[in-house]
Amino acid sequence: MTYNQGRIEETYRHLYVIIEHEEGRIIPVSLEMLGEARRIMDEFNIKYSSDEKVVAVVLGYKVKEICKELILYGADAVIYAESPELKHPRNLADTKVISQIAQDKKCVEQISPNFAEEFKKPRYMFFSADNIGRHLSSTVLAELESGLASDINKLVVGDLEIRHEHKTKGQAIKYEKTLQMYRPDFSGFLWTTILCLDNRNPAIQREYHPQACSIIPGVFSPLQRDGSRTGIILEYLPKLNEKDLKLKILSRKAMKSTVDFDSYKSVVSFGRGIKNSPEENIKLIEELAKELGAQIGVSLPISKKPYAVNQNLSSKYMSSDRVIGTSGRKVAPLVYIAVGISGAVQHIAGMKESQFVVGINPDENSPMKEECDVFIKGRMEDVVPLLIEEIKKTKPLMEIRK
Amino acid sequence: MATEIASLMISSSVNVAVIIKLEPDFSEGSVSYNSDGTLNRAETKSILGPHSAIASLAAFYSKVKYGAYISIATMGPPIADIALKQAQLMSDADELHLYSDRIFAGADTLATAEVLKNGIGKMKGGEKMDIVFSGHRASDGETGQTGPQTAWKLGYTFIGNVIDYDFDPQRRVVIAKRLITLQGFHDIIEEVEAPLPVFITIDPSYKSTFNTVSQRLAYLKYQKEAKERTEEYKKYLKVFNAEQLGVDAKFVGLPGSPTIVYKVEKIPKAKTSRKVDIVDGSDPNHIRNVIKRVHEMLGATIIK
Repeated sequence: MTYNQGRIEETYRHLYVIIEHEEGRIIPVSLEMLGEARRIMDEFNIKYSSDEKVVAVVLGYKVKEICKELILYGADAVIYAESPELKHPRNLADTKVISQIAQDKKCVEQISPNFAEEFKKPRYMFFSADNIGRHLSSTVLAELESGLASDINKLVVGDLEIRHEHKTKGQAIKYEKTLQMYRPDFSGFLWTTILCLDNRNPAIQREYHPQACSIIPGVFSPLQRDGSRTGIILEYLPKLNEKDLKLKILSRKAMKSTVDFDSYKSVVSFGRGIKNSPEENIKLIEELAKELGAQIGVSLPISKKPYAVNQNLSSKYMSSDRVIGTSGRKVAPLVYIAVGISGAVQHIAGMKESQFVVGINPDENSPMKEECDVFIKGRMEDVVPLLIEEIKKTKPLMEIRK
Repeated sequence: MATEIASLMISSSVNVAVIIKLEPDFSEGSVSYNSDGTLNRAETKSILGPHSAIASLAAFYSKVKYGAYISIATMGPPIADIALKQAQLMSDADELHLYSDRIFAGADTLATAEVLKNGIGKMKGGEKMDIVFSGHRASDGETGQTGPQTAWKLGYTFIGNVIDYDFDPQRRVVIAKRLITLQGFHDIIEEVEAPLPVFITIDPSYKSTFNTVSQRLAYLKYQKEAKERTEEYKKYLKVFNAEQLGVDAKFVGLPGSPTIVYKVEKIPKAKTSRKVDIVDGSDPNHIRNVIKRVHEMLGATIIK
């Protein structure tokens, strides 16, 4: 089987990063994506003796300032589209404009003239796995008719030999420059590697580029801002018609989160370890938190209401507002106490910046242990009452010391 | 009399679809985990996914308030009709669609969206759907991509993370509130308006409220009807294979899926900078020491 690798080489180039901002303030994940994009393409260009670029894409209104920043944080080039119509994210209009930019030869010509004639689409694309990027990535890739992996926390580029019933009709074929996209599954214990591959089976031959993903906020590190970095900034004039602007934004209101973690010095969180007597155990947690002056958090499984407890406790604690982790809030208190939490990677990502971490769990092999300063081995039913008692005893002494 | 006629006119005027998914039941007693913390799929029962259930309730709101015609669809194996039955109970659906064919197996989100798009085109004898709902994301796959990709293929205006919505029958527009959560920012509540047709993904925090007496009466009436209907849900069920849907085999199942799962492995334990002390939870001396360290940590800020 022959497959013209050279043609692919010239048609799909560069890594496009879709930048998110809120009225001109960059969302941190955008810089994190640029940092990872820079690391990947630096390695890529050495490995393949190539010169493919990191291209940041920004939509908005009055966004020129951001464009300069993006260069300092690692982009080789920035393509921006500016219009009052693009001031706030709107899926329909944004999908149209990003898809146009992703297929625009003229922009590519100015960024990197090599193979600009043959350019069809980006090789890779990054989006943020948040409320905006998750949907935007889906619709853009539906428009570009290619594949997408969501909620990624590790990326590797390399050559892979693939033997697949449909993709290769069972033959072993080498796929060059393939993006291996790692996503933790819902349990947090399994890692699935997703690939976006062309169909090279002659019966269903089809090209699937870009290889795209959405990236979990808070996972990758941004680069140090480097004032000496230079790059190309290009304006793209979007082609939008009335149909693309059907959705009108009537109002936007910022609201404080209903559960406040930021003003607490300590957080007590609980997970599935409450299962033996959920209602009594939640009450124990409440008492511990009260004695410590702590806010209460939960792990993701708890928000799915896995146990029957009274309505009041259920609506108060088994809710997504309290989830700590990648699908909830990120906290960094002075003291973090994890009660009956096994320590899925998603949860760790939400609490690892805490100063002093105490874990309570009967299972010494639980991954939570690795993130603790103190790991108390035992059942929460036994340990938490001892903690409460001890705090009550020492409290008067504490106040004297103050 | 006049209001009755008006409500009759409205009742025939809004078509609502919901796309749902059969998922593992994560509730205690149903879910089973392996000793390494991963889901034991063989031992775990399957039910209507919780986000699909909320989407069904959002559709029911349109039934109660506007007398909507409701069609519910899923792609899956024949046993997925259980999820359709559960969704019918929550929404009093008039029609249930199951898209089932061996060639759909192994589909990623793009190939799934292709099937759903074609299926939605067959609802209510080929009438156009005005509002399509889907859940926020599946609790097992958790990609949240299928909804927006189906919306894009249908050419519908997509509105995500909706916590509240209403439909204006005169102007044929939907007004919706959506919740936007961004890293490092306060949550934003955005109110938007869009002409039909629209595709809505429902946020987990969505709740229907019925304020007037007539709405509450309608609620009871349709709830009773839903119970009766689910007793013989197969009467409402239509099963379509690939040929009946008119899908191109190249665009569905494995051939239509750009992505593949290359490998699955256990996540290695994270590297950590902490040095952990392991203590025995039944020893009061150890507990005393832990609390002392906690106090020291918290006390440090009081001095600052």
